[in-house]
Amino acid sequence: MKKITKFLALSLCLIMLVGCFAACGAKKENVIVIGLTGPLTGGASIYGIAVKNSAQLAVDEINAAGGLNGINFKLDMRDDEHKAENVENLYNGLIEDGMQVSLGTVTTKPGLEFKNLSKEDNVFFLTPSATGDAIPEFANGYQMCFADSNQGTAAAKYFNETYKGKKIGIFYKADDEYSKGIYDNFKKNLDTSFVVAEASFTGEASTFDSQINLLKDCEIVFMPIYYTPASQFMVQAKDVANSITTYYGCDGFDGIDAIDGFDINSIPQEVSMLSHFNSTATEGPAADFIKKYNDKYDEAKEPLNQFGAAAYDCVYAIYEALKVAIANGKDVDANTSASDMCEILKEVFNSDTFEFRGITGKCEGTEKSHISWSDDGTVVKEAIKYIVKEKTAA
Amino acid sequence: MEFLTTLVNGLSLGGIYAMIALGYTMVYGIAKMLNFAHGDIIMVGGYMILLFLPINPIVAIIAAMIFCMILGIVVEKLAYKPLRGASPLAVLITAIGVSYLLQSIAQMAFGSAPKFITVAAKLGIDGKMLHIGGLSIGYSTIITLVCSIVVMIALSLFVKYTKTGRAMVAVSEDKGAAQLMGINVNSIIMITFAIGSVLAALASVFFLLKAPTMNPTFGSLPGIKAFTAAVIGGIGSIPGAMLGGILLGIVECFAQAVPAISPYTDAIEFSILIILLLVKPAGLLGKKRREKV
Repeated sequence: MKKITKFLALSLCLIMLVGCFAACGAKKENVIVIGLTGPLTGGASIYGIAVKNSAQLAVDEINAAGGLNGINFKLDMRDDEHKAENVENLYNGLIEDGMQVSLGTVTTKPGLEFKNLSKEDNVFFLTPSATGDAIPEFANGYQMCFADSNQGTAAAKYFNETYKGKKIGIFYKADDEYSKGIYDNFKKNLDTSFVVAEASFTGEASTFDSQINLLKDCEIVFMPIYYTPASQFMVQAKDVANSITTYYGCDGFDGIDAIDGFDINSIPQEVSMLSHFNSTATEGPAADFIKKYNDKYDEAKEPLNQFGAAAYDCVYAIYEALKVAIANGKDVDANTSASDMCEILKEVFNSDTFEFRGITGKCEGTEKSHISWSDDGTVVKEAIKYIVKEKTAA
Repeated sequence: MEFLTTLVNGLSLGGIYAMIALGYTMVYGIAKMLNFAHGDIIMVGGYMILLFLPINPIVAIIAAMIFCMILGIVVEKLAYKPLRGASPLAVLITAIGVSYLLQSIAQMAFGSAPKFITVAAKLGIDGKMLHIGGLSIGYSTIITLVCSIVVMIALSLFVKYTKTGRAMVAVSEDKGAAQLMGINVNSIIMITFAIGSVLAALASVFFLLKAPTMNPTFGSLPGIKAFTAAVIGGIGSIPGAMLGGILLGIVECFAQAVPAISPYTDAIEFSILIILLLVKPAGLLGKKRREKV
């Protein structure tokens, strides 16, 4: 028995040694590692999967075109299940496996943890879709999406101008950083002359009888929530809430018309949203991207949304910024440390001359959109307000 | 009027919770285990309806009930039966494992994006309202309410007057003695799981009538709420589960109807559990048992 134990212990040691060498060998690979975390399983996994696929699409395209002067990119995405408590372990794993630059997190809740961790190691991150106001708090954090306060403020401004004197309803998710953030800023900036009815929900609720009861007399309902509960609300409300004429959502609404089995045309009201990506685009750069995505991935199982489009832009933005840095005489290669990379990228992103042309934001015809960044890390680009579905004539 | 509408909504939601809570409480009473995978049976039921809906809504509902029944039995046979006599903790962990397994399988099979399953539209009751005075109630709410009452009465009668039902009571009272009296404990446990799973499938039908979407993690929240309901009513007690479920449904709907406290609905529901356990540890209708240490 003892002999067997000894033998086992020895062989385990050997295996570990081999593993160690293998890991050292992997380090020599000529790649720049882009790390991120996002929900790949669980309730929010539609967003994480779209981000993973789109970022991979961008990485593959760049690598196929020769990479960054011959250095390829490699995507390393870990599953955080949309839970903040998972981030620390995942982040440490990413660092150990050589992450040099990051896309942060897909969603805001884990992102608040990520920004603290990455600040200590000085890792540059450009998040596609964590919209929380606090995400770009430190110098190393940047956003590709609009921050919550900007969305709430923009929507309130639009309401003040367009819907004067109407009774408006607000439907938000009280335990969600994203929804609550937009809601707070929307209310703060909304004209006090409005009559406002409010309703909220928490968790993964799916029956909204009571909330519909509260909002059924409104004309316009502002819904800063993700599209799943929004679609459920609309379906349940369509026979009760006759006075509602318009639903107005934020970027979380994107893809609402593509939900499997949900017939948006059965909703009598107008459905509109303010976003940075038009997922129904039929021409221009956005449409090209949508086509590429759907050619590569199964649209029904892993649908595209604006999270994915933003991730695609993120990878290209980092690529372009590194190209600018190299043109400016900076040294960038597969062995550049995360911290050095961060300094290099920050300098480019903060410079007034750096402008990225992407597929999110307002594209003029066949031209790509203009995207730049403020010094506080928030994105500057033009939002698109578009009607997902017109009001059905009664 | 507002009050009455909310009350009716609460009653119908409570009816669904009660039906799920019955599954928890019966399994606990008879097998002395918490079947945390019970909530996920609801989710499986929903997806079964999705699969069979194109044929016919009624066929789909029956197919879902049969499939869930078989699934309940299979889970019991494969996962729980080998652990009979093991520590309660081992069984509990296994149940949680089964729950995650079912969720993952559903995600692999159907993807993580929510699916719309329009049972109400296929049954032709979509959006139809019944007007009584100034009160308007959806057909689906009424169907839920009526069906859950019928199911609860039927189950009570079954337990009280049939041989199998009384054998179930006997097993829950004293497993050893029941076995000595010639009751096949294993088959009684199997029947309990089967009934619980059929009720879960029915619950998913009623959930779909209220809100026509299903996703792989759908079952966890109703599951945990129904478990709360079962504990409030006194776990192991069948009338207790009904009472607890209906109480919880009404509390939920009223809490959501008040904007100021609506964000804290879940917190309110679970606080009721904590307060009740402090005052009445055995639950509302639970029997007080002296534990021998």
